[in-house]
Amino acid sequence: MPELPLPAEPTSRTLEIRFTGSGSEYFRIWAVNLLLILLTCGLYLPFAKMRRIRYVYANTLIDGEALAFHGDGWKMFRGFVLLAVLMLAYTVASEFSPAVALAAFVVLCAVWPALWRASMQFRLGNTSWRGLRLSFEGSLAGAYLAHLPVYIPMTLLTALVPAGQGPTGDPGVNSRFWFGVSLALLCLMAPWSTALLKRYQHRGYRIAGERSVIVLHTRSVYFIGFKTLMLGVAALFLAMAAAVPLCGLLAWLQSGTVDPRAWRSYYGIATVGLLYLLGAGGLLPYYASRIQNLVWGNTRSASLRFHSELTGLTRLNLKNWLLIVLTLGLYRPFAVMVSTRLRLQAVRVESSTDPATWTAARAGLHTDASGDVAGDFFGMDVGL
Amino acid sequence: MMSAPRLAADWFDGRSARARPVEVWLDGGALHFGDQTAPLHSLTWPERQRHGQRQVLLPGGGLLSFADADAFDAWAQASGRSDSAVVRWQQSWRLALLSLVLLVAGLLGAYRWGLPWAVDRVVDLLPRAAEQRLGEHLLSGLDGEWLKPSRLAAEQQQAWRLRWATALSRARGNGGPAVPERFEIHFRDGGKALGPNAFALPGGDIVITDELLKLLSDEPDAVLTVLAHELGHVQHRHGLRLMLRAGAIGVVASVVVGDFSALLAAAPTLLASNAYSRDNEREADRYARTLARAGGVDASRMAVFFERVAKKRGATVERHPVAIAISSHPADEERVRFFSEP
Repeated sequence: MPELPLPAEPTSRTLEIRFTGSGSEYFRIWAVNLLLILLTCGLYLPFAKMRRIRYVYANTLIDGEALAFHGDGWKMFRGFVLLAVLMLAYTVASEFSPAVALAAFVVLCAVWPALWRASMQFRLGNTSWRGLRLSFEGSLAGAYLAHLPVYIPMTLLTALVPAGQGPTGDPGVNSRFWFGVSLALLCLMAPWSTALLKRYQHRGYRIAGERSVIVLHTRSVYFIGFKTLMLGVAALFLAMAAAVPLCGLLAWLQSGTVDPRAWRSYYGIATVGLLYLLGAGGLLPYYASRIQNLVWGNTRSASLRFHSELTGLTRLNLKNWLLIVLTLGLYRPFAVMVSTRLRLQAVRVESSTDPATWTAARAGLHTDASGDVAGDFFGMDVGL
Repeated sequence: MMSAPRLAADWFDGRSARARPVEVWLDGGALHFGDQTAPLHSLTWPERQRHGQRQVLLPGGGLLSFADADAFDAWAQASGRSDSAVVRWQQSWRLALLSLVLLVAGLLGAYRWGLPWAVDRVVDLLPRAAEQRLGEHLLSGLDGEWLKPSRLAAEQQQAWRLRWATALSRARGNGGPAVPERFEIHFRDGGKALGPNAFALPGGDIVITDELLKLLSDEPDAVLTVLAHELGHVQHRHGLRLMLRAGAIGVVASVVVGDFSALLAAAPTLLASNAYSRDNEREADRYARTLARAGGVDASRMAVFFERVAKKRGATVERHPVAIAISSHPADEERVRFFSEP
C-alpha cells in the first residue's frame, strides 16, 4: 500500500529556555543593593527587588527572546510599605499580648489567599515576552478554596482545644502535644494542599490566546510526598548515626579530652543540627524538584506543551549551603544564579504554532477594568 | 551636523508577537524607531550589564529588543546616554567591593552607635504597662517550656521574701539607690536545663530557681546580692533593651542572609541564659553592690556564689573560646574582686 501523505501535522518546535545570568555580576548587584538598603534604612528594598527581577528577566531567554518586567518601582514601594507595617504590627503585637497576636494572625490568614493571588496577578501582569503580556486569571474564591487544607486543621485546633488541656496535667507537655498534632495534620495534608495550590496556579496562566490547563492527580503528589517521607526516615537514621562522631568532635573541641560521658550532652544538638541540614538542605529541594517536574510535565495550553526534567537540585542545594556558610554569606548571590539556571533550564517548551503569529488576547488589557487593581497595589512577589 | 548613530532593533508593538526589524536613533529628546517616535521620558531604559539582553520598554506595553547587547551599549553611549551611579557601581568590581566594605562598616557603626541610640528612644517611649505585658507573656512561655512550679516549702519561700524585704527597707532607710516601681520575685524549679539560675524579665518579674537557693542555702547574703543584681537589670530595663536589640539584629540579619524569626524566637532563651551584654552586667553589678551595702548585706559573699556555680558547671565550659563569646558575663575573678572591694 503506497504511503499517503498524512494530513499536515502541525510542526512542533521546541522553544529553548536559556538562562545567562552570572554569579559574579549578580554578586556586584547584590553588594550595591545591600549598601543602598542600609543607607535608606530598608526603604530601598522594593527597588532592589525590581533590579533583581529585571536582571533575572533580561537573562531568561525563551527561544532567543528575553522576558521583560514592566513593574513600576513606586507601586512596588507602596505595597512593600503596607506589608511591612502589617508584619511589624504583627511581630510587635505577638511579643506583647497573645490575644492581639492571635487576632493579627487571624487577619493575616484571612487576607493571605487574596494577597497571594494579587501578587501573582501583579508579577505575571507585568511580565512580557515578545511584547505580549502574561497574565494570571484565577477567581478570588478559588484562591481561598486552594488554601483550605492549610486552614481547616489550624482553625479546628485553635477553636476546639482549650488552653492547657491535653493528655497530661502538665501544660508544657500538652502544648507540645497539640503542636505535634497540628504538625502531623499539616504534614498529612501537605501533598493535598500542594495539589490544590498548583492546580489553581497552573490553570490561571495566560499569554496571547494561550490558557494553561493542568491535569494533576492528588495521588501523584501523595506518592512524591510518600517518597520524601521515606527519605526523611532515612535522613533521621543517618542523622542519628552521624551525630555520634559529630558530638564526639564537639565534646573534644570543648574539653580537649575524649570523654564519652561528655558526648551525651552534645548528642541532642548534633542530631537536631544534622536533621535540619538534611531536611531543609536535602529533603525540601527533593520535594520541590519532583513537584516541579510533575506539575510542569502535566501543564499545557492549546499549542504549548511543557516538560521539566529537573535533577540534581538536592546536591546543588547542599553544596550551596556549605559554600554560603564557609564564605559567611558572600556566596549567596552565586548560589541564587546557579540554582535559578538549573531550575529554568530543566524546563522545555514545545509549541505547535509559531509564537510570532500570536496576538494579544485583548489590546492593552493590563490597564483596563479587568486588570486587578489590588494586584497592582500589592506589588509583592511569589517565586516561580 | 553629524547624523545621530543608528542601531538595528526588533520592535514588538505589544499586540502582535511578530518582531518588526527597525532602525533606532535618538534625536531631539525622543527615540525614533521606524516611522514611530516616543519621548525619552516615557521610556524605561535598560541598565548596562555584562550578561543578558537589552530591551527598551515603550509606553503602552510595546518594547524594542536588541539582540546584540554590546552594540546596544556602544550605541547608547554614542547617543549621549550615560550610566546611572548605581550602574557604574554595579559594573565595577572595585566599587562593588567598596560597597561591601562600606556595608560592613555601616553595619558595625549602626550596631555600635545607632542601635543603642534607637533602643534608648524606644525604651523611653514604651509605657511601663506594655513592658509588663511583655514580661508576663515571656514568663508564661518559660513556664510552659523551661520552668516548673517551685518545690520549695511555702514557709521557706516566705523566709526568703522576708529577708529580701528587710534588706530593701533597710536600704531605703540608709539612702540606697532608687528601686523600680514594680518588681516581683518568682520561685521556680529550673530543672536540668537552667540549673542554679536567676534572671529578670522586662517589666520587673524576677525568677530565681530552687537549684540556686539550694546551692546557696547557707549564704543568704549571696542570694540577696544576686537578687539585687537582677533588680538592677529591672531598674535599668535591660531585658527590654536586649529584646529590642535582638529583634533589630534579627531584622537586619534577615535582609542580609534571608532567614527570619530564629532570633526573635530565641528571646526567652537568651534572657534565661543571662546573655546580657557585659556593660549591662557591670551596671547591674554596681547597682547590686550599692543596694546590698545600703541594706546591710555582705556583697563580698558573691565570691562563694561564683565559686560554687563554676564548680557546678564544670570548669571545662569556660575554657572554650565559643563558650566565652556566648557567655557575656565579665570574668568571674573580676566580678569577685568588684564585690569584695572595700
